[in-house]
Amino acid sequence: MFHLRKFIILVLFSFPVSVSSDEKIEQSKFFVENLGKQVVEKVSNVNLSENERTINFRNLYLAAFDNYYISRFVLGRYWKRLDSDMRKQFIKSFDNYIVATYAPKFKGWEGTFKAVDSLIENNYYNVKMNVLNKDGPTLKLMWKIYLDKNKNFKILDVNIDGVSMLVTQRAEFLSVIKNNPKGVIGLIEAMNKKTSG
Amino acid sequence: MVNKYKIYHNIMFLVLTFSLLVLISSPSSSSESENDPFESVNRGIFKFNNQLDDYLFKPAAKGWRAIPDIPRKPLSNLASTAKTPVSLANAILQLNKKSIGDILGRFLINMTFGLGGMFDVASTDNFGNMAEVEEDFGQTLAVWGVPDGPYVMLPIFGPSSVRDAFGLGVDTITNPVSFAYRMNGIGLEGRLSGPSVRGVAKREKYLDYLDEMKEGSLDFYATMRSLYRQKRKKDISGELESKDLSLSMSQIDLFEDERPASTTTDNDDKVMASSLIEENEVTPKTRYYNGVLPSSNYPGFNESRVNLIE
Repeated sequence: MFHLRKFIILVLFSFPVSVSSDEKIEQSKFFVENLGKQVVEKVSNVNLSENERTINFRNLYLAAFDNYYISRFVLGRYWKRLDSDMRKQFIKSFDNYIVATYAPKFKGWEGTFKAVDSLIENNYYNVKMNVLNKDGPTLKLMWKIYLDKNKNFKILDVNIDGVSMLVTQRAEFLSVIKNNPKGVIGLIEAMNKKTSG
Repeated sequence: MVNKYKIYHNIMFLVLTFSLLVLISSPSSSSESENDPFESVNRGIFKFNNQLDDYLFKPAAKGWRAIPDIPRKPLSNLASTAKTPVSLANAILQLNKKSIGDILGRFLINMTFGLGGMFDVASTDNFGNMAEVEEDFGQTLAVWGVPDGPYVMLPIFGPSSVRDAFGLGVDTITNPVSFAYRMNGIGLEGRLSGPSVRGVAKREKYLDYLDEMKEGSLDFYATMRSLYRQKRKKDISGELESKDLSLSMSQIDLFEDERPASTTTDNDDKVMASSLIEENEVTPKTRYYNGVLPSSNYPGFNESRVNLIE
Protein backbone atom coordinates (compact mmCIF):
# COMPACT_ATOMS: atom_id res chain seq x y z
CA MET A 1 0.00 0.00 0.00
CA PHE A 2 2.81 2.33 0.89
CA HIS A 3 4.55 1.57 -2.39
CA LEU A 4 1.36 2.18 -4.35
CA ARG A 5 0.90 5.60 -2.71
CA LYS A 6 4.52 6.43 -3.36
CA PHE A 7 4.08 5.39 -6.97
CA ILE A 8 0.96 7.55 -7.39
CA ILE A 9 2.74 10.58 -5.88
CA LEU A 10 5.70 9.98 -8.15
CA VAL A 11 3.45 9.78 -11.22
CA LEU A 12 1.52 12.90 -10.20
CA PHE A 13 4.69 14.90 -9.71
CA SER A 14 6.47 13.64 -12.75
CA PHE A 15 3.51 14.18 -15.12
CA PRO A 16 3.58 18.01 -15.21
CA VAL A 17 7.34 17.90 -15.79
CA SER A 18 7.00 15.71 -18.84
CA VAL A 19 4.12 17.79 -20.21
CA SER A 20 6.16 20.95 -19.70
CA SER A 21 9.09 19.40 -21.52
CA ASP A 22 6.85 18.34 -24.41
CA GLU A 23 5.40 21.83 -24.57
CA LYS A 24 8.84 23.36 -24.80
CA ILE A 25 9.76 20.97 -27.58
CA GLU A 26 6.64 21.97 -29.49
CA GLN A 27 7.42 25.63 -28.81
CA SER A 28 10.96 25.21 -30.12
CA LYS A 29 9.58 23.73 -33.34
CA PHE A 30 7.00 26.48 -33.62
CA PHE A 31 9.72 29.10 -33.06
CA VAL A 32 11.80 28.11 -36.09
CA GLU A 33 8.76 27.50 -38.29
CA ASN A 34 7.39 30.90 -37.36
CA LEU A 35 10.73 32.52 -38.06
CA GLY A 36 10.67 30.91 -41.51
CA LYS A 37 7.19 32.30 -42.15
CA GLN A 38 8.30 35.77 -41.10
CA VAL A 39 11.33 35.60 -43.38
CA VAL A 40 9.07 34.71 -46.33
CA GLU A 41 6.65 37.53 -45.45
CA LYS A 42 9.09 40.25 -44.49
CA VAL A 43 12.29 39.54 -46.38
CA SER A 44 11.56 37.43 -49.47
CA ASN A 45 8.72 39.64 -50.73
CA VAL A 46 9.79 41.02 -54.13
CA ASN A 47 7.66 44.15 -53.63
CA LEU A 48 9.94 45.39 -50.86
CA SER A 49 12.70 47.87 -51.58
CA GLU A 50 16.24 46.75 -50.78
CA ASN A 51 16.28 49.10 -47.78
CA GLU A 52 13.05 47.65 -46.39
CA ARG A 53 14.32 44.12 -46.94
CA THR A 54 17.54 44.94 -45.11
CA ILE A 55 15.73 46.55 -42.17
CA ASN A 56 13.28 43.68 -41.83
CA PHE A 57 16.07 41.11 -42.00
CA ARG A 58 18.10 42.99 -39.43
CA ASN A 59 15.19 43.07 -37.01
CA LEU A 60 14.46 39.38 -37.43
CA TYR A 61 18.15 38.52 -37.05
CA LEU A 62 18.60 40.57 -33.89
CA ALA A 63 15.36 39.25 -32.40
CA ALA A 64 15.86 35.58 -33.17
CA PHE A 65 19.65 35.06 -33.04
CA ASP A 66 21.97 35.40 -30.06
CA ASN A 67 24.34 37.79 -31.81
CA TYR A 68 26.49 38.24 -28.69
CA TYR A 69 27.16 34.53 -28.34
CA ILE A 70 27.70 34.09 -32.10
CA SER A 71 30.14 37.02 -32.20
CA ARG A 72 32.04 35.54 -29.30
CA PHE A 73 32.18 32.07 -30.81
CA VAL A 74 33.34 33.15 -34.27
CA LEU A 75 36.24 35.13 -32.80
CA GLY A 76 37.49 32.10 -30.88
CA ARG A 77 40.52 32.79 -28.72
CA TYR A 78 40.77 36.39 -29.94
CA TRP A 79 37.60 37.41 -28.06
CA LYS A 80 39.35 37.47 -24.70
CA ARG A 81 42.06 39.76 -26.04
CA LEU A 82 39.57 42.50 -26.92
CA ASP A 83 38.44 45.24 -24.56
CA SER A 84 34.77 46.14 -24.17
CA ASP A 85 34.78 48.85 -26.87
CA MET A 86 36.46 46.61 -29.40
CA ARG A 87 33.96 43.86 -28.68
CA LYS A 88 31.08 46.28 -29.29
CA GLN A 89 32.73 47.45 -32.48
CA PHE A 90 33.18 43.86 -33.64
CA ILE A 91 29.57 42.90 -32.83
CA LYS A 92 28.27 45.93 -34.73
CA SER A 93 30.42 45.20 -37.81
CA PHE A 94 29.56 41.51 -37.67
CA ASP A 95 25.81 42.22 -37.46
CA ASN A 96 26.07 44.54 -40.46
CA TYR A 97 28.11 41.95 -42.34
CA ILE A 98 25.55 39.18 -41.69
CA VAL A 99 22.66 41.42 -42.73
CA ALA A 100 24.43 42.64 -45.88
CA THR A 101 25.44 39.09 -46.83
CA TYR A 102 22.21 37.23 -46.22
CA ALA A 103 19.32 39.70 -46.69
CA PRO A 104 19.66 39.95 -50.52
CA LYS A 105 19.82 36.16 -50.84
CA PHE A 106 16.22 35.78 -49.70
CA LYS A 107 14.81 38.09 -52.36
CA GLY A 108 12.07 36.25 -54.22
CA TRP A 109 12.70 33.01 -52.37
CA GLU A 110 9.65 30.77 -52.20
CA GLY A 111 9.18 27.72 -50.09
CA THR A 112 8.00 26.38 -46.77
CA PHE A 113 9.65 25.48 -43.49
CA LYS A 114 8.62 22.29 -41.72
CA ALA A 115 10.08 21.42 -38.31
CA VAL A 116 10.17 17.63 -38.13
CA ASP A 117 11.74 17.00 -34.74
CA SER A 118 13.26 18.67 -31.71
CA LEU A 119 15.70 17.04 -29.30
CA ILE A 120 16.95 18.46 -26.03
CA GLU A 121 20.70 18.14 -25.48
CA ASN A 122 22.02 19.73 -22.28
CA ASN A 123 20.74 23.32 -22.46
CA TYR A 124 20.13 23.24 -26.19
CA TYR A 125 17.23 22.29 -28.41
CA ASN A 126 18.27 20.75 -31.70
CA VAL A 127 15.35 21.40 -34.04
CA LYS A 128 15.44 19.44 -37.27
CA MET A 129 13.76 21.13 -40.17
CA ASN A 130 13.04 20.48 -43.84
CA VAL A 131 13.15 23.54 -46.05
CA LEU A 132 11.04 22.79 -49.09
CA ASN A 133 12.33 25.00 -51.89
CA LYS A 134 9.71 25.73 -54.52
CA ASP A 135 12.26 25.37 -57.33
CA GLY A 136 14.96 23.18 -55.90
CA PRO A 137 15.94 20.33 -53.64
CA THR A 138 14.73 20.02 -50.06
CA LEU A 139 17.30 21.27 -47.57
CA LYS A 140 17.73 19.52 -44.24
CA LEU A 141 18.62 21.95 -41.47
CA MET A 142 19.21 21.64 -37.79
CA TRP A 143 18.78 24.71 -35.60
CA LYS A 144 20.59 24.87 -32.32
CA ILE A 145 18.56 27.08 -29.98
CA TYR A 146 18.20 27.72 -26.26
CA LEU A 147 15.95 29.60 -23.86
CA ASP A 148 17.60 32.81 -22.69
CA LYS A 149 17.14 34.55 -19.32
CA ASN A 150 13.88 36.11 -20.52
CA LYS A 151 12.59 32.69 -21.60
CA ASN A 152 12.81 33.65 -25.26
CA PHE A 153 14.27 31.18 -27.71
CA LYS A 154 17.52 32.33 -29.29
CA ILE A 155 19.33 30.72 -32.20
CA LEU A 156 22.98 29.82 -31.74
CA ASP A 157 23.73 27.92 -34.93
CA VAL A 158 22.28 26.54 -38.14
CA ASN A 159 23.57 23.23 -39.42
CA ILE A 160 23.03 22.37 -43.08
CA ASP A 161 23.70 18.73 -43.94
CA GLY A 162 26.47 18.41 -41.39
CA VAL A 163 27.96 21.86 -42.00
CA SER A 164 27.74 24.30 -39.10
CA MET A 165 27.44 27.93 -40.14
CA LEU A 166 29.08 28.95 -36.88
CA VAL A 167 32.14 26.72 -37.34
CA THR A 168 32.49 27.77 -40.99
CA GLN A 169 32.31 31.44 -40.06
CA ARG A 170 34.87 31.00 -37.30
CA ALA A 171 37.28 29.16 -39.61
CA GLU A 172 37.01 31.96 -42.12
CA PHE A 173 37.45 34.75 -39.57
CA LEU A 174 40.41 33.11 -37.86
CA SER A 175 42.09 32.73 -41.24
CA VAL A 176 41.49 36.40 -42.07
CA ILE A 177 42.92 37.44 -38.68
CA LYS A 178 45.94 35.16 -39.12
CA ASN A 179 46.74 36.46 -42.59
CA ASN A 180 46.12 40.12 -41.80
CA PRO A 181 48.88 42.08 -40.00
CA LYS A 182 46.22 44.20 -38.26
CA GLY A 183 44.58 41.11 -36.74
CA VAL A 184 41.01 41.61 -35.49
CA ILE A 185 41.04 45.26 -36.62
CA GLY A 186 41.91 44.01 -40.10
CA LEU A 187 38.93 41.65 -39.93
CA ILE A 188 36.61 44.47 -38.85
CA GLU A 189 37.90 46.63 -41.71
CA ALA A 190 37.39 43.78 -44.19
CA MET A 191 33.81 43.29 -42.95
CA ASN A 192 33.08 47.01 -43.14
CA LYS A 193 34.51 47.16 -46.65
CA LYS A 194 32.31 44.25 -47.72
CA THR A 195 29.26 45.86 -46.13
CA SER A 196 29.82 49.27 -47.67
CA GLY A 197 30.72 47.82 -51.07
CA MET B 1 50.83 -0.69 -74.36
CA VAL B 2 51.84 -2.92 -71.46
CA ASN B 3 54.75 -0.60 -70.64
CA LYS B 4 52.40 2.39 -70.57
CA TYR B 5 50.22 0.75 -67.89
CA LYS B 6 53.32 -0.37 -65.99
CA ILE B 7 54.64 3.22 -65.85
CA TYR B 8 51.17 4.49 -64.85
CA HIS B 9 50.90 1.96 -62.03
CA ASN B 10 54.44 2.68 -60.84
CA ILE B 11 53.70 6.41 -60.66
CA MET B 12 50.44 5.79 -58.79
CA PHE B 13 52.24 3.44 -56.40
CA LEU B 14 54.88 6.09 -55.64
CA VAL B 15 52.23 8.78 -55.10
CA LEU B 16 50.24 6.53 -52.79
CA THR B 17 53.31 5.48 -50.81
CA PHE B 18 54.35 9.12 -50.38
CA SER B 19 50.83 10.05 -49.27
CA LEU B 20 50.80 7.25 -46.74
CA LEU B 21 54.16 8.34 -45.31
CA VAL B 22 53.02 11.95 -44.93
CA LEU B 23 49.79 10.73 -43.37
CA ILE B 24 51.47 8.55 -40.78
CA SER B 25 53.90 11.29 -39.79
CA SER B 26 51.30 14.03 -39.41
CA PRO B 27 48.93 14.80 -36.55
CA SER B 28 45.17 14.61 -37.01
CA SER B 29 43.11 17.73 -37.36
CA SER B 30 41.18 19.30 -34.55
CA SER B 31 38.35 21.78 -34.53
CA GLU B 32 40.66 24.70 -33.62
CA SER B 33 43.60 23.81 -35.88
CA GLU B 34 43.13 23.88 -39.61
CA ASN B 35 46.06 21.43 -40.08
CA ASP B 36 47.16 23.06 -43.30
CA PRO B 37 50.99 23.05 -43.39
CA PHE B 38 51.02 23.37 -47.20
CA GLU B 39 48.74 26.41 -47.14
CA SER B 40 50.73 28.62 -49.50
CA VAL B 41 50.98 25.85 -52.12
CA ASN B 42 47.34 24.91 -51.55
CA ARG B 43 46.25 28.52 -52.03
CA GLY B 44 48.16 28.60 -55.34
CA ILE B 45 46.41 25.44 -56.54
CA PHE B 46 43.08 26.81 -55.27
CA LYS B 47 43.60 29.93 -57.38
CA PHE B 48 44.39 27.75 -60.40
CA ASN B 49 41.28 25.61 -59.74
CA ASN B 50 39.12 28.73 -59.47
CA GLN B 51 40.37 29.98 -62.81
CA LEU B 52 39.76 26.56 -64.33
CA ASP B 53 36.30 26.65 -62.80
CA ASP B 54 35.53 30.10 -64.21
CA TYR B 55 36.63 29.22 -67.72
CA LEU B 56 35.75 25.53 -67.97
CA PHE B 57 33.70 23.85 -65.22
CA LYS B 58 31.21 26.63 -64.56
CA PRO B 59 30.33 27.16 -68.23
CA ALA B 60 30.09 23.36 -68.60
CA ALA B 61 27.76 23.19 -65.57
CA LYS B 62 25.61 26.00 -67.00
CA GLY B 63 25.48 24.17 -70.32
CA TRP B 64 24.56 20.98 -68.49
CA ARG B 65 21.71 22.78 -66.73
CA ALA B 66 20.39 24.00 -70.08
CA ILE B 67 20.02 20.42 -71.40
CA PRO B 68 16.45 19.07 -71.12
CA ASP B 69 15.73 16.63 -68.27
CA ILE B 70 15.96 13.82 -70.80
CA PRO B 71 18.77 13.01 -71.62
CA ARG B 72 20.41 14.97 -68.73
CA LYS B 73 18.97 12.99 -65.81
CA PRO B 74 19.38 9.49 -67.32
CA LEU B 75 23.02 10.28 -68.19
CA SER B 76 23.65 11.55 -64.68
CA ASN B 77 21.94 8.49 -63.16
CA LEU B 78 23.96 6.10 -65.34
CA ALA B 79 27.19 7.81 -64.24
CA SER B 80 26.14 7.46 -60.58
CA THR B 81 25.19 3.80 -61.05
CA ALA B 82 28.63 3.14 -62.57
CA LYS B 83 30.17 4.11 -59.24
CA THR B 84 28.19 1.48 -57.33
CA PRO B 85 30.94 -1.21 -57.29
CA VAL B 86 33.40 1.18 -55.59
CA SER B 87 30.84 2.28 -52.99
CA LEU B 88 29.74 -1.29 -52.34
CA ALA B 89 33.31 -2.57 -51.96
CA ASN B 90 34.08 0.19 -49.45
CA ALA B 91 30.85 -0.40 -47.51
CA ILE B 92 31.87 -4.07 -47.23
CA LEU B 93 35.39 -3.11 -46.09
CA GLN B 94 33.82 -0.88 -43.43
CA LEU B 95 31.41 -3.69 -42.41
CA ASN B 96 28.68 -1.06 -42.66
CA LYS B 97 25.52 -3.18 -42.93
CA LYS B 98 23.20 -0.22 -43.47
CA SER B 99 25.27 1.17 -46.34
CA ILE B 100 25.60 -2.29 -47.92
CA GLY B 101 21.81 -2.73 -47.78
CA ASP B 102 21.09 0.75 -49.12
CA ILE B 103 23.62 0.52 -51.97
CA LEU B 104 22.45 -2.96 -53.04
CA GLY B 105 18.78 -2.01 -52.65
CA ARG B 106 19.17 1.12 -54.75
CA PHE B 107 21.20 -0.71 -57.38
CA LEU B 108 18.68 -3.54 -57.78
CA ILE B 109 15.65 -1.21 -57.88
CA ASN B 110 17.24 1.19 -60.36
CA MET B 111 18.60 -1.61 -62.57
CA THR B 112 15.16 -3.23 -62.83
CA PHE B 113 12.42 -0.62 -62.43
CA GLY B 114 14.77 2.21 -63.45
CA LEU B 115 15.55 0.65 -66.85
CA GLY B 116 19.16 -0.30 -66.30
CA GLY B 117 19.99 2.62 -64.00
CA MET B 118 18.72 5.37 -66.31
CA PHE B 119 16.01 6.48 -63.90
CA ASP B 120 16.50 6.96 -60.17
CA VAL B 121 13.20 5.43 -59.08
CA ALA B 122 14.73 4.28 -55.77
CA SER B 123 14.71 7.84 -54.44
CA THR B 124 10.98 8.32 -55.14
CA ASP B 125 8.21 7.98 -52.53
CA ASN B 126 7.11 4.65 -54.02
CA PHE B 127 10.42 3.05 -53.05
CA GLY B 128 10.88 4.76 -49.69
CA ASN B 129 13.07 7.72 -50.74
CA MET B 130 16.32 5.75 -50.75
CA ALA B 131 19.03 8.38 -50.90
CA GLU B 132 22.27 7.75 -52.79
CA VAL B 133 25.01 6.38 -50.53
CA GLU B 134 28.60 7.06 -51.53
CA GLU B 135 31.44 5.28 -49.79
CA ASP B 136 35.06 5.72 -50.76
CA PHE B 137 38.40 4.40 -49.60
CA GLY B 138 39.15 7.61 -47.69
CA GLN B 139 36.08 6.90 -45.56
CA THR B 140 37.12 3.28 -45.19
CA LEU B 141 40.53 4.35 -43.90
CA ALA B 142 38.81 6.73 -41.47
CA VAL B 143 36.63 3.89 -40.17
CA TRP B 144 39.81 1.85 -39.73
CA GLY B 145 41.17 4.65 -37.55
CA VAL B 146 43.51 6.41 -39.98
CA PRO B 147 43.62 10.19 -39.28
CA ASP B 148 42.84 12.57 -42.11
CA GLY B 149 46.27 14.23 -42.07
CA PRO B 150 47.11 17.62 -43.54
CA TYR B 151 44.67 19.41 -45.77
CA VAL B 152 45.62 19.32 -49.45
CA MET B 153 44.17 21.09 -52.45
CA LEU B 154 44.29 18.78 -55.44
CA PRO B 155 44.47 20.24 -58.93
CA ILE B 156 41.07 19.81 -60.65
CA PHE B 157 39.65 17.54 -57.90
CA GLY B 158 39.66 20.32 -55.29
CA PRO B 159 39.71 20.11 -51.45
CA SER B 160 41.02 16.91 -49.91
CA SER B 161 43.28 15.56 -47.21
CA VAL B 162 46.30 13.29 -47.50
CA ARG B 163 44.16 10.34 -46.40
CA ASP B 164 41.35 11.14 -48.81
CA ALA B 165 43.74 11.82 -51.70
CA PHE B 166 45.31 8.41 -51.05
CA GLY B 167 41.78 6.91 -50.99
CA LEU B 168 40.93 8.60 -54.27
CA GLY B 169 44.00 7.00 -55.87
CA VAL B 170 43.04 3.54 -54.56
CA ASP B 171 39.43 3.91 -55.75
CA THR B 172 40.63 4.97 -59.20
CA ILE B 173 43.05 2.06 -59.60
CA THR B 174 40.71 -0.61 -58.25
CA ASN B 175 37.48 0.51 -59.91
CA PRO B 176 36.14 -2.64 -61.65
CA VAL B 177 34.40 -0.51 -64.27
CA SER B 178 37.79 0.88 -65.33
CA PHE B 179 39.10 -2.71 -65.58
CA ALA B 180 36.12 -3.66 -67.75
CA TYR B 181 36.80 -0.70 -70.02
CA ARG B 182 40.46 -1.67 -70.38
CA MET B 183 39.63 -5.32 -71.03
CA ASN B 184 37.33 -4.24 -73.87
CA GLY B 185 39.90 -1.85 -75.34
CA ILE B 186 37.95 1.30 -74.53
CA GLY B 187 40.23 4.33 -74.51
CA LEU B 188 40.82 7.06 -71.92
CA GLU B 189 38.00 9.22 -73.28
CA GLY B 190 35.53 6.40 -72.59
CA ARG B 191 36.93 5.77 -69.12
CA LEU B 192 36.69 9.45 -68.25
CA SER B 193 33.06 9.77 -69.38
CA GLY B 194 31.61 8.57 -66.05
CA PRO B 195 33.71 10.80 -63.77
CA SER B 196 33.25 13.76 -66.15
CA VAL B 197 29.45 13.48 -66.12
CA ARG B 198 29.44 13.05 -62.34
CA GLY B 199 31.73 16.06 -61.93
CA VAL B 200 29.69 18.33 -64.18
CA ALA B 201 26.42 17.19 -62.56
CA LYS B 202 27.83 17.89 -59.10
CA ARG B 203 29.10 21.31 -60.17
CA GLU B 204 25.65 22.08 -61.60
CA LYS B 205 24.07 21.15 -58.27
CA TYR B 206 26.20 23.72 -56.42
CA LEU B 207 26.19 26.36 -59.17
CA ASP B 208 24.15 28.97 -57.27
CA TYR B 209 25.37 28.13 -53.76
CA LEU B 210 29.06 28.45 -54.67
CA ASP B 211 28.58 31.77 -56.43
CA GLU B 212 26.74 33.19 -53.42
CA MET B 213 29.34 31.84 -51.03
CA LYS B 214 32.21 33.24 -53.08
CA GLU B 215 30.54 36.63 -53.26
CA GLY B 216 29.89 36.93 -49.52
CA SER B 217 33.11 35.38 -48.29
CA LEU B 218 36.07 37.24 -46.83
CA ASP B 219 38.40 34.28 -47.36
CA PHE B 220 36.89 31.79 -49.79
CA TYR B 221 39.80 29.38 -49.41
CA ALA B 222 39.32 29.12 -45.63
CA THR B 223 35.56 28.74 -46.08
CA MET B 224 35.99 25.84 -48.53
CA ARG B 225 38.56 24.21 -46.26
CA SER B 226 36.17 24.31 -43.32
CA LEU B 227 33.22 23.09 -45.40
CA TYR B 228 35.26 20.17 -46.72
CA ARG B 229 36.44 19.08 -43.28
CA GLN B 230 32.97 19.30 -41.73
CA LYS B 231 31.30 17.50 -44.64
CA ARG B 232 33.83 14.66 -44.50
CA LYS B 233 33.35 14.30 -40.76
CA LYS B 234 29.61 14.04 -41.28
CA ASP B 235 29.98 11.53 -44.15
CA ILE B 236 32.26 9.36 -42.03
CA SER B 237 30.45 9.52 -38.69
CA GLY B 238 26.95 9.84 -40.10
CA GLU B 239 26.22 12.40 -37.39
CA LEU B 240 24.65 15.66 -38.42
CA GLU B 241 26.68 17.57 -35.88
CA SER B 242 30.26 17.05 -34.83
CA LYS B 243 30.84 16.26 -31.14
CA ASP B 244 33.73 18.74 -31.28
CA LEU B 245 31.24 21.52 -31.89
CA SER B 246 29.02 20.53 -28.95
CA LEU B 247 32.05 20.51 -26.67
CA SER B 248 33.34 23.75 -28.11
CA MET B 249 29.96 25.44 -27.64
CA SER B 250 29.57 24.26 -24.10
CA GLN B 251 32.78 26.09 -23.19
CA ILE B 252 30.97 29.42 -23.53
CA ASP B 253 28.64 30.35 -20.71
CA LEU B 254 25.35 31.44 -22.26
CA PHE B 255 24.31 33.25 -19.09
CA GLU B 256 27.60 34.91 -18.20
CA ASP B 257 27.61 38.15 -16.21
CA GLU B 258 29.76 40.14 -18.61
CA ARG B 259 27.12 39.80 -21.34
CA PRO B 260 25.53 43.22 -21.93
CA ALA B 261 21.87 43.58 -20.86
CA SER B 262 20.91 44.01 -24.48
CA THR B 263 23.04 43.27 -27.51
CA THR B 264 20.81 45.39 -29.71
CA THR B 265 21.63 48.65 -27.98
CA ASP B 266 23.28 50.19 -30.97
CA ASN B 267 21.63 53.51 -31.79
CA ASP B 268 21.51 52.78 -35.51
CA ASP B 269 19.59 49.60 -34.82
CA LYS B 270 17.11 51.50 -32.65
CA VAL B 271 16.55 54.05 -35.39
CA MET B 272 16.10 51.34 -37.99
CA ALA B 273 13.72 49.35 -35.83
CA SER B 274 11.65 52.42 -34.96
CA SER B 275 11.48 53.55 -38.57
CA LEU B 276 10.18 50.12 -39.49
CA ILE B 277 7.33 50.42 -37.04
CA GLU B 278 6.50 54.07 -37.63
CA GLU B 279 6.60 54.03 -41.41
CA ASN B 280 3.44 52.07 -41.80
CA GLU B 281 3.08 52.88 -45.47
CA VAL B 282 6.60 51.66 -46.33
CA THR B 283 5.70 48.00 -46.04
CA PRO B 284 2.38 46.41 -46.91
CA LYS B 285 0.11 46.21 -43.86
CA THR B 286 0.09 42.43 -43.78
CA ARG B 287 3.88 42.45 -43.70
CA TYR B 288 4.15 45.13 -41.03
CA TYR B 289 6.66 44.29 -38.31
CA ASN B 290 4.65 44.37 -35.09
CA GLY B 291 7.49 44.36 -32.59
CA VAL B 292 6.62 40.90 -31.28
CA LEU B 293 9.53 38.54 -31.39
CA PRO B 294 9.07 35.17 -33.01
CA SER B 295 9.86 33.58 -29.67
CA SER B 296 6.83 35.15 -28.03
CA ASN B 297 4.35 33.72 -30.51
CA TYR B 298 4.20 30.10 -29.39
CA PRO B 299 0.86 28.52 -28.72
CA GLY B 300 0.14 28.76 -25.01
CA PHE B 301 3.28 30.76 -24.41
CA ASN B 302 3.30 33.93 -22.32
CA GLU B 303 2.42 36.75 -24.72
CA SER B 304 5.13 39.12 -23.60
CA ARG B 305 5.99 41.76 -26.14
CA VAL B 306 9.69 42.33 -26.40
CA ASN B 307 10.33 45.87 -27.40
CA LEU B 308 13.33 46.42 -29.63
CA ILE B 309 13.06 50.20 -29.47
CA GLU B 310 12.69 50.95 -25.79
